[in-house]
Amino acid sequence: MNLVYALLGLLGLYIYVSVMSLLFAGIDRKLVARMQRRIGPPILQPFYDFLKLVSKETIIPNTANFMFKVAPVLMLATTIALLAYTPFGFAPLFATKGDIIVFIYLLTLADFFLVIGVMSSGSPYGRIGASREVAMLVSREPAMMLGVFAVMWGISKFGVQKPFSLSSLYEHNIWELGPMAWVAGAILVYVFMSWLASEIEAGFFNIPEAEQEIAEGTLVEYSGRYLAIIKLAESMKEFIAASLVVAVLFPWQLNMPGIQGYIVNLLIHTLKVFIVLFVAKTIFRTVTGRLKISQAVNLLWTRVFAASVIGALILAMGVSL
Amino acid sequence: MIRLPLLSTVIKNLFKKPATNPFPKTEPVPVPENFRGKIVYNVDKCVGCRMCVTVCPAGVFVYLPEIRKVALWTGRCVFCKQCVDVCPTNALQMSDEFLLASYDKYDSKFIYVTPEEAEEIKKKQEELKKAKAQAKAKKDQ
Repeated sequence: MNLVYALLGLLGLYIYVSVMSLLFAGIDRKLVARMQRRIGPPILQPFYDFLKLVSKETIIPNTANFMFKVAPVLMLATTIALLAYTPFGFAPLFATKGDIIVFIYLLTLADFFLVIGVMSSGSPYGRIGASREVAMLVSREPAMMLGVFAVMWGISKFGVQKPFSLSSLYEHNIWELGPMAWVAGAILVYVFMSWLASEIEAGFFNIPEAEQEIAEGTLVEYSGRYLAIIKLAESMKEFIAASLVVAVLFPWQLNMPGIQGYIVNLLIHTLKVFIVLFVAKTIFRTVTGRLKISQAVNLLWTRVFAASVIGALILAMGVSL
Repeated sequence: MIRLPLLSTVIKNLFKKPATNPFPKTEPVPVPENFRGKIVYNVDKCVGCRMCVTVCPAGVFVYLPEIRKVALWTGRCVFCKQCVDVCPTNALQMSDEFLLASYDKYDSKFIYVTPEEAEEIKKKQEELKKAKAQAKAKKDQ
């Protein structure tokens, strides 16, 4: 019975997140347009785009193998599975001890499926995009992992129910750990915002898709239904990644009992996600251009990962002292 | 250190009105004086001097020797205005019209003096000639 409720919850979250993430994509485009003194498309434009793509003819290249068709579906499936482990203002549906590993694994796996699909298309442009995607993937995740593990370790010192679970983030948070942790927290805000920007490939990190440079990169061979699936999955992944940032750094929620408590917390969480995405995506992609892939990898290792190490060390000192 | 020089501009822009002209809802941006739009051809003024045929770089004009007029297909026009400048009788003018999209490249709005019109003009000219000849014959008598 419990499992049935969890599955219903997953279905509900899937519908909610796909609507909200596409809605944010619309708001994002509108705001970018206004920042450039344009009017911009209607806010519901991503929904029209999605429906149009679904109704378009899907073209499969002659050189593609079967993974080309399977990968987008697997990517969306991974993203939907990820929803069960994502904190949305309340503890994740399937929260257990150590589920952060599953979360990171699934988040990375979605990108990995995209890379496999693109590599299977046989297009050299797609391969360039895929190799860039992998380089970014390898460079950006360690900084986030170190940050998340440090925060969760710090929180577990309070004696939470499920250590190293994303549900523990709602029991205690990093800002309760004292002045040293506030400094570490400020550094981690920078680390997580950079990670989020590179995860959603905005601004500096819009490298694998780079339309003007390598003809859409990862998405070059995808059309019709598969493109729609990938766009939806990427947009949901954006929401999920921002959800992680919100849960780790700004997890303040109302303590309301009952079903309406869940709904109110979900709405508060959504608002916080929109604010985080507004900074990390909308503003960042309006005011900056793209880096070279070598510069981006360099930046992620020397600036972001180093900051993450420093933040984690300061946090560790704050907790142990 | 990352510098973001655009940030202040962008935030300021967010609170300004869009600097665009939402065309189908409003009038298009007004054209300036001496705007070079679609050619307007006045058949009656034309004396068939063939200057426009000589000067046109795009081959818009076809001379019709039987009626001593020109036929135009402005689908090829490059809006250089040389025919207008060279026309001695001002039979050719540039208009302000620039919304010239069409589903058919042989749309009637691109063609002046169709073969049927040419026939009509020919008949009219012949009638005029006859009338003149009759008048002359009467005078001579």
